[in-house]
Amino acid sequence: MKMKAYMAFAKKSFLQKSAYRMEHWMGILNTLIRLVIYVEIYRALYGAREAVDGITMSMVTTNFILSLGMESFFVVDDFYLSYRIGNGSIASEMLLPVSFHGRMLADNLGTAAFKLIFHFIPAMLVAVLFIGISAPAGAASMGLFVLSVLFGYGVLWSISFMFQMFSFWLINVWAIMTIKNVFINVLSGAMIPLWFMPESMKNVIKFTPFESIYFTPVQIYLGKITGAEIAGGFIKQIIWIVCLLGIGMILWHKGQKKLVVQGG
Amino acid sequence: MSFIEVKEVSKTFKVNKRSAGIPGMIANMFVPKFENKKAVDGISFDIESGEMVGFIGPNGAGKSTTIKMLSGILCPDSGSISVNSYVPYRQRKEYVAGIGVVFGQKSQLQWDLPVIDSFELLKAIYRIPEEMYKKNLKRYTDMLDMGGFINQPVRQLSLGQRMRSDIVASLLHSPKIVFFDEPTIGVDVIGKETIRSFIRELNEKDKITMIFTTHDMQDIEQTCKRILIIDKGSLLYDGSLQEIRNKYGTTRQLIAEFNEDTEVTPIENVMIGDPKDRKRSFTFDNSVVDVNALMHEILGKYSIRDITVTEPEIETIIRKIYNKEVFA
Ligand SMILES: Nc1ncnc2c1ncn2[C@@H]1O[C@H](COP(=O)(O)OP(=O)(O)OP(=O)(O)O)[C@@H](O)[C@H]1O
Ligand SMILES: [Mg+2]
Repeated sequence: MKMKAYMAFAKKSFLQKSAYRMEHWMGILNTLIRLVIYVEIYRALYGAREAVDGITMSMVTTNFILSLGMESFFVVDDFYLSYRIGNGSIASEMLLPVSFHGRMLADNLGTAAFKLIFHFIPAMLVAVLFIGISAPAGAASMGLFVLSVLFGYGVLWSISFMFQMFSFWLINVWAIMTIKNVFINVLSGAMIPLWFMPESMKNVIKFTPFESIYFTPVQIYLGKITGAEIAGGFIKQIIWIVCLLGIGMILWHKGQKKLVVQGG
Repeated sequence: MSFIEVKEVSKTFKVNKRSAGIPGMIANMFVPKFENKKAVDGISFDIESGEMVGFIGPNGAGKSTTIKMLSGILCPDSGSISVNSYVPYRQRKEYVAGIGVVFGQKSQLQWDLPVIDSFELLKAIYRIPEEMYKKNLKRYTDMLDMGGFINQPVRQLSLGQRMRSDIVASLLHSPKIVFFDEPTIGVDVIGKETIRSFIRELNEKDKITMIFTTHDMQDIEQTCKRILIIDKGSLLYDGSLQEIRNKYGTTRQLIAEFNEDTEVTPIENVMIGDPKDRKRSFTFDNSVVDVNALMHEILGKYSIRDITVTEPEIETIIRKIYNKEVFA
């Protein structure tokens, strides 16, 4: 089975991750600190009010816990390709009888699995115990939520994948990755719940892939969208994944012809 | 159709040319100047299955670039390559499953893992059957005497140990074709000897087709029958090593040590050197002058203490070809 090769990569990156213990604890701390800051800001803004525009404080809290929770194991490596082109190790990668993208995904998923177990779960336990989270709208909502989390990760990964392909033309992709990540941070709902965006902004965000990453799953979890809207959310996620991967693949094929290997 | 077919292949690199210093840097930011560097310039050759070919040429000649195109890493700008009826660059994934490549200058092993773990990873990646893996691992590690360091992380290995590990790594999946780009670089005399006889055995016993680049002519002499010489991206020579010797290695030097200071009369077609410690050199072309006759003449005419005849080393001949003193 071909899967075995990719499983081996995933396993390797899972094990490699466990070597960085300090980084790991700092990661959990980082998630919790951000969570507390975001929640406290909104608590101050809410003051004594029960709800703002029909959004309760507990919905806001739940949004942050879920978004930051997902973020903690949504592993992408924006510099995976550019690093390998930069130091010439792309040559060794191309000599392996596996697809480069499959390998990159396997590496990321291996790390993601590690983060899911050792970052997401402990951080969630602390958050749920000490801050509190709303229960899912129902068993069905919970199931659909998990499914849309998977697609959400797919969208995030595909965005990174497409932008990484510029590594063939640019020596340094740091600038475009930073800009990309600012957009993701601001427009995905992880920092500012999208309910509070002005109407005009919401209309713009609708046409971007960003809300599909964290916000769509949160909406499903809370039961804020139902029926046809949920289906719409899934369709959007899938369309974005297909489009971004498609563009990425076209760029990959163009870039490969241009590939230059550094060093003798 | 030959096993490996390379037809009119070229590869150009775009190199950013900027003048030195800060003004050059600033100018380059606004109007970058590019220069096209032809690394490989229309080379063609065929290699049959089971052949072992030495690929030599001075630094920057285009050897590594050619190997990278042959192994599907780089895409040629023009021309065509077919190996075992694959187009390497286009069918990369399927193609590389059947080849082995070693870049002596760059390890392909996992830097932070013990050698054996890298091998296990390759076993999974190439989906090598357990039995074949065990057999190859045992055979190759024994042949290259790797028992002592197979459990050490790659980053702790000496250059020669790392090289042997890289060579084994490239062979675990039993490829039919292997490209070695400088597999003896930085390896000591004994290590080189081990690698050479290892390579020879692979070719003779296992009939693995090989291309082998090196700067050490001893490597070539002891392993390859056929050589390709490349310079500035063009092929200078394609033929047997013996042929080169026959063609350009006909110069002989006879050194005679006289018993006393002696004047020597000129001999036709022989260049006679100035005396030094009662020794004189007689340089001639052995396709023109018969060694036996010359020796007889000298021994008959003069009182001689010692006499030796030397033939040029292959290195000397290759140097002459690189320097364009002779044309291949
Ligand atoms: N990534 C690159 N960018 C620009 N030029 C390159 C690049 N790689 C190689 N070249 C140029 O292409 C030419 C051929 O290089 P190549 O590495 O194929 O030489 P080589 O024959 O392997 O030399 P050596 O014996 O030193 O290893 C050189 O002039 C080199 O400067
Ligand atoms: Mg080279």
